[in-house]
Amino acid sequence: MATTDKEVKELIKREYEHGFVTEIESDTFEPGLNEDVIRRLSEIKQEPEFMLEWRLKAYRRWLEMEEPEWAHVDFPKVDYNSISYYSAPKKKEDMPQSLDEVDPELLKTYEKLGIPLHERAKLAGVAVDAVFDSVSVATTFKEPLEKAGVIFCPISEAVQKYPELVKKYLGSVVPAGDNYFAALNSAVFSDGSFVYIPKGVRCPMELSTYFRINAANTGQFERTLIVAEEGSYVSYLEGCTAPMRDENQLHAAVVELVALDDAQIKYSTVQNWYPGDENGKGGIYNFVTKRGACIGKNSKISWTQVETGSAITWKYPSCVLRGENSVGEFYSVALTHNYQQADTGTKMIHLGKNTRSTIISKGISAGRSSNAYRGLVKFGPGAEGARNFTQCDSLLIGDRCGAHTFPYIESKNKSAIVEHEATTSKVSDEQMFLCRQRGIDPEQAVSMIVNGFCKEVFKELPMEFAVEAGKLLEVSLEGSVG
Amino acid sequence: MKPAPTLSSAFLQPPGQTLPAALLALRQQRGTALADLPLPTRKTENWKYSSKYLKLTDEIAATLPVSGTPAAAAPGYCAVLRNGVLVSDASNLPAVAGIRVRRFSELSDDEAATLAQRLDGTLDRQAVQLAGLNSARFEDGLLITLEPEAVLDQPLFIIHETGAESSGSAFPRIYVDAARHSKATIVEEYTSSGTAVAMTNTVTEFTLGDGASITSVRLAMEEQNVQHLGATGVRLLDNARFESHCVGFGGPLRRHDLQVRLEGPGAECKLNGVVVTQGKQHYDNHTTIEHIAPHCNSEETYRNIAAGESHAVFNGRIHIHQDAQKSNADMNNKNLLLNNGAEIDTKPELEIYADDVKCAHGATIGQLDETSLFYLVSRGIGRRDANVLLTMAFINELVDQIPVEAVKETAQARLSDFFDQTFQEA
Repeated sequence: MATTDKEVKELIKREYEHGFVTEIESDTFEPGLNEDVIRRLSEIKQEPEFMLEWRLKAYRRWLEMEEPEWAHVDFPKVDYNSISYYSAPKKKEDMPQSLDEVDPELLKTYEKLGIPLHERAKLAGVAVDAVFDSVSVATTFKEPLEKAGVIFCPISEAVQKYPELVKKYLGSVVPAGDNYFAALNSAVFSDGSFVYIPKGVRCPMELSTYFRINAANTGQFERTLIVAEEGSYVSYLEGCTAPMRDENQLHAAVVELVALDDAQIKYSTVQNWYPGDENGKGGIYNFVTKRGACIGKNSKISWTQVETGSAITWKYPSCVLRGENSVGEFYSVALTHNYQQADTGTKMIHLGKNTRSTIISKGISAGRSSNAYRGLVKFGPGAEGARNFTQCDSLLIGDRCGAHTFPYIESKNKSAIVEHEATTSKVSDEQMFLCRQRGIDPEQAVSMIVNGFCKEVFKELPMEFAVEAGKLLEVSLEGSVG
Repeated sequence: MKPAPTLSSAFLQPPGQTLPAALLALRQQRGTALADLPLPTRKTENWKYSSKYLKLTDEIAATLPVSGTPAAAAPGYCAVLRNGVLVSDASNLPAVAGIRVRRFSELSDDEAATLAQRLDGTLDRQAVQLAGLNSARFEDGLLITLEPEAVLDQPLFIIHETGAESSGSAFPRIYVDAARHSKATIVEEYTSSGTAVAMTNTVTEFTLGDGASITSVRLAMEEQNVQHLGATGVRLLDNARFESHCVGFGGPLRRHDLQVRLEGPGAECKLNGVVVTQGKQHYDNHTTIEHIAPHCNSEETYRNIAAGESHAVFNGRIHIHQDAQKSNADMNNKNLLLNNGAEIDTKPELEIYADDVKCAHGATIGQLDETSLFYLVSRGIGRRDANVLLTMAFINELVDQIPVEAVKETAQARLSDFFDQTFQEA
């Protein structure tokens, strides 16, 4: 932590650096949602009949559902008819075949974000399936993946190329009618990633998708589906930034993970979408359904998330532990500042014998924000010898913020053991005194203490992400002390 | 979607009219507010796990008659209430300077008006809507007033007997007004007689002035034909102290909402609870501690044991308000699941809006430790006795803290009966 005074000052002055708008012609639907919109969407994407049927069914379910209100967040109602449900960068003849063909404007955008696509791909050995608005425009490193038999492509492509796989697994973990936002997503999902790891394959590189919300008034509805066949392994990275906008933008993604016997999926997220300005104006609404199913024996799904962005976050990455000896993990750092509101946590549903889960959640609230952990740990009657350990810690910075914990624990099996702990504290005067006394300025001291508080989670992140995450917290916390 | 069923109008029939006008008016008003109240379902957050046990059939809508001789009695000071009304012959009210125990129906109009303004003042009525049915139905009640500095030298036993010789409900209502620096121990025992389907719908409120100290012991021991829907509300001013010991035995529906408001700096509360359920029984404890003023302390320890196919629920909420700096709050809930058919659900919540606080909660669910069992068995203790011993040890720490010897013995005797039934085996 050898940051000089000057750097700190720059840091404090720094505004949300990813707030800019790329001028690209967009082919965008008129705002509004009805069956025709879904038909058009499906047509543009040249989807097979079953997909359209699936979307329409989901839409009809959605119409009957009511928007949930149980979360500990407060925001003006979303008008679903004022949102445009499709926006794609203007196509040139066909979809680009390689990076060279990608719109240079787009590539520049990624560069500004600090993700020079090809360089990053080469240097870090990461294949990037970049989602710019709703259509995947570039996919790199397909070749080595193809050699290993791994399928990593936009889901719209998978629908056409691998309809059988999509038919089998899409909606198998998060059914179309699962909840209000999942139903909406199922009806209008624009694009996302599809990953298939064949039997016994260890994916040769970390897969990564960068999402970016661009054109104003465009809801983004990503759909991600990852299937890990018997004995396979994959690590998937997701990171997000969004341009600065005054109007709230809705984001309702669905992520489904399927792990068969002995398979392992590691899913890491760094989310720093635009959180609104210091007066709580603007920012992204992030209502996400993420769920993994450990169907097979000895399978493992691990969620790691660092959440610093979005005006409203509503997100519960979950694991359904069906297979014997399967393992679910959830590591989370959620930071809220200014007027951000987060209601996030996890669900661990233990159904199989000797299933195990670990939950480590660190919530940091600063400014006037509100940060809630909401989690469910459930043991079914068949969860013989199952085990859960949960730890939720909250850190408060400032006296106008809130930190909440709502854990639900349900057990129907006597041999299952669950332990839950939660603490709430602040950056103590003693800690600060110790740092100050050793010549560390307050801003840096807080950053150091917060980093220490989150260490357990950061160590679960892939290396590149861990560095980024630490930096992200620093930026997000600026102006929270003194 | 079909509309949710609402509270049957049979429950809102006007009860007897023997109270002072102000209280009649209050009752009327509460009754009106409950009309068309949707009954809780699985989707109702604070009835999520218990709604299926609630059977508010018209059968139990009638108020149980006061007639009949109460079976129960207690040593020392006691107030025996049968179906919510004080039975003077069976009672032995304290004759201590500065302490008065009166029926609501005895109050002067002025006193009744003051009381009517204060009733329900300790409760979040939105949260205890159903228990609040009591406010629309109480036939009479008991007002216990402690003047400043008054000290009750012995515990006061309030015996609530629900006489279920016929079907219906009892609506006992207690209001304890403890002025500055007064001190008392109040024991409430809920019992029942008769075998008809019935319900106890009870509300007890405590207001504690500066430096007052109240110890409350609550035993819910009605028989299996009686549902229990109860709420306790507590308000504490500066430096007041409230201590609560609840022991609950399962039944067809057992629900107790305990709400404590720490309104004055330096106030503190300690809440202990033990619940045991077996067979197809149910028990649901909902507690809320509101830290409103700074420098308050709260400590909460609840233990549940569920055997057979029973269902025990705990929901503890600690709410630290924005100005409640320097609060200390500690909540601990441990659960023992004895059989695979049984279910335990727990939800320890923290809601915190102040930064300079120390709050922690812990919750566990598990079974008896095999190695401990082995240890005992290997030393010649039968498996059954070893089970009883370890289960008793799980809650004894709390039972032991009950400050009234007679109650502790009652509780221990009942608990040991419970364990005998639970661990019946070869």
